[in-house]
Amino acid sequence: MRAIAIRYGRLLVSSLLLFVAVITVLFLLLELAPGNPIQSLVGDVPISPAFEAQITAAYGLDKPIWERYLIYLGNVFSGNLGISFGTNQPVLELILSRAGNTLALAVPSFIISTTLGILLGSIAARTRRRWLDSSISGIAVGLFSVPNFWLGMMLIMVFSLVLGWLPTQGKAPYGQEGIAVQYMVLPIITMATSELAYKTRIMRASMIESLSQDFIDTARSKGVSPRRALWRHALPNALLPMVTVSGYSLGFILAGSVLVERVFGWPGMGLLFIDAIGRQDNQVVLGVVIVLTVTIIIVNIVTDVVYGIVDPRLRSQLVRRSTTTRKTEVPA
Amino acid sequence: MTTTDDTIVADAAQSTQPEHDSPAEGRVESRLSTWKVFLRKPSTLIFLPLLLIFVLISFVGPFFVGSPSATGNPTLLPPGGAFPLGTDDLGRDYLARVVHGGQISLLVGFSVALLCMTIGVVVGGLAGYYGGFMDTALVKVAEFFQVLPGLILALVAAALLGSNVFIIVAILAITMWPSCARIVRAEAMRISKLGYIESAKAAGFGGIRILWSDVVPNAMPPVLVATSMTVGRAILVESGLAYLGIGDTSRPSWGALLNSAQAYMQQAWWLALFPGMCIFLVVLAVNMLGDGLNDALNPTIGRVK
Repeated sequence: MRAIAIRYGRLLVSSLLLFVAVITVLFLLLELAPGNPIQSLVGDVPISPAFEAQITAAYGLDKPIWERYLIYLGNVFSGNLGISFGTNQPVLELILSRAGNTLALAVPSFIISTTLGILLGSIAARTRRRWLDSSISGIAVGLFSVPNFWLGMMLIMVFSLVLGWLPTQGKAPYGQEGIAVQYMVLPIITMATSELAYKTRIMRASMIESLSQDFIDTARSKGVSPRRALWRHALPNALLPMVTVSGYSLGFILAGSVLVERVFGWPGMGLLFIDAIGRQDNQVVLGVVIVLTVTIIIVNIVTDVVYGIVDPRLRSQLVRRSTTTRKTEVPA
Repeated sequence: MTTTDDTIVADAAQSTQPEHDSPAEGRVESRLSTWKVFLRKPSTLIFLPLLLIFVLISFVGPFFVGSPSATGNPTLLPPGGAFPLGTDDLGRDYLARVVHGGQISLLVGFSVALLCMTIGVVVGGLAGYYGGFMDTALVKVAEFFQVLPGLILALVAAALLGSNVFIIVAILAITMWPSCARIVRAEAMRISKLGYIESAKAAGFGGIRILWSDVVPNAMPPVLVATSMTVGRAILVESGLAYLGIGDTSRPSWGALLNSAQAYMQQAWWLALFPGMCIFLVVLAVNMLGDGLNDALNPTIGRVK
C-alpha cells in the first residue's frame, strides 16, 4: 500500500509542477507581449483611468515582476481567471458555460475513435488478406494526412450543400435551445477521423507485436481457437499501449476542437477561444488555455491510474519500481 | 593527422556493418541497400515524384503564373478557360494564389522539420548519451508539451506576440522538437551500449567526439523517418493556424486560402477544394515516404511472421 501511495503522490506532485510550468509560460508570454501590460491583459479595448487604476491594483502591475508572478499564480489557483472585457462576465463562468457543448462533441468522438481504432487495428494486424490490411492501413495514413478542418469543409459541401441531408452550421435550428442530434453528426465525424487514424496505426502495430509473443503459440498449441487467441489472449496485451494513447488523445481532441468548432460554427470552448483571440480578449484566451491544461492533466492522471490497474506486471512490480529510481533506465 | 583520418575511415566502415550487438533489431541490411530497397518501393515511385512536382510548382511556378493579388477579373469564375482554377471573390487568379500559397506552406513545413531535427539531435544525443540533468530536462519538456498542445500554445503566442512567418516557424519548432529529441535519445541510449562505443572509449576519444562521429550517424535512420513525419505535421498545424487567421495576411499560405474560402463554400466549391487537396497530397506524400523509409529500415517489423 505504501508503494502505491508513494507512486500516486509522486504523480500528483509532478502534475502540479507541470501546471505551474504552464502558468509560468503563459505569464512570460504576457510579459513579452509588446506594449502596455494593462492593455495586453485587457485586450484591444479602450479603458478609463479609474479602470486602469483598478487593474493595476488587482494585478499589482506597479510591483516587481516576481511579485506579479506570485499574484498571478495565486489568482489562478484560487479559480480567479479574471473578467472578460468583451462580455463583463467572470472568465471561468464564461468558459464553463461553453464546456458542455465542447464535451458533447469530444466525448462521442473519443468513444467512436477508440472503439473503431481498436477494432480496425486488430483486424488489419490479424487478417491474412493482404488487401484488407493494406486498405485499412492506407485509409489510416490518408486520414492521418488530411487537414482535419478541411475534411469538415468537404463533408459540409457534400452532405449539406449538395445532398442537403444535414445542416451546415450551429448546434440546433435557429432560435432553439439545446443540441439537435443531426447537427452533431458531421462535427463528430470530423473530430473522430484523425484520432481514429492514429489509434488504428498504434493498435495495428501493438497487435502485431502481441500476436508474435510466445504465449499466443502456447495458447494455440493448447487447442485455443485462433479467434479466441486473438480476442482473449492477444487483445488484452495489445490494449496496454492504447490506454496511454487514448489518454493523450483526449487532449488532442480538445485542442482540435478549436478548428472543428470554427468549421461548424459550434458554440463551444474552441469557438470562444478563437473569438477571444480575434477580439484580443486576452483574459479569456489565457483562461481557456488554463482550463484545457487542467483537464488534460486530470485525464493524464486518470490514464496513469487506469494503466496501473490494467497492467498486472505493474501491479506486482510496484514495490520494486518505487524503491528504485528512474535513474536505473539511464546508462551511467 | 593521418591517424585521425584512419580512425574516421574505420568508424565509417564499422557504422555500415550490421549491428550484431543488438539481435532484437531486425536490421540485417546494410545502409546502402536500405536506400535501394526504399527507392524501389512502389509507394516511393509514386510519392517521391508527387512531392517533387509540388516542390517544383511552388518554387518555380511563381515565375510562370500571374500576380496572386491582381484584381479586375470577373469574380468567382468557375475553373476553366483562362483561369484553370477559377477566380476568387475579389477576381484574383486562383491558380496564382494556390501556387504562391504552396511556397509558404512548404517553406514552413521543411524549415520547422529541419529545426526540430537539429535541436532534436543535439539535445536528444546529449540526453541519451550522458543522461543526468539533460535527460531529466528533456523528459520534463516533452511532458510539458503533452499537457499544453502545440496548436493551442502557437495560437496564444501568435495572438500575444504577433504573427509573421518567422514567429510561426519558431513557435512550431519549439512545440515539436521534443518528439524528435526523444527518438534520438532512445537511439543514443541503445547505441552507447554497443561494442564499438566501448572500443572508441578505450581508444581514448572524448565524449563529444564519440557522440558526434559514432552515436549520431548511427542514430540518423529513425531520425530521418521522424523528420519526414514532422514535415507533414508542421504543414498541417500551420494550415490550421492560418485557417484560424493566424499568419502573414499579405502572403497567404494554403491554410489562409481555406480561411477565406469558408464564406464561399456554397457559391464557389473550387476555393475550398484546391488548397485543401494540395495540403492533403503533400502531407500524404511525406507520410508515405516516411512510412516507406521506416519499412526499408526495419524489414522484419510490420507483419505477423
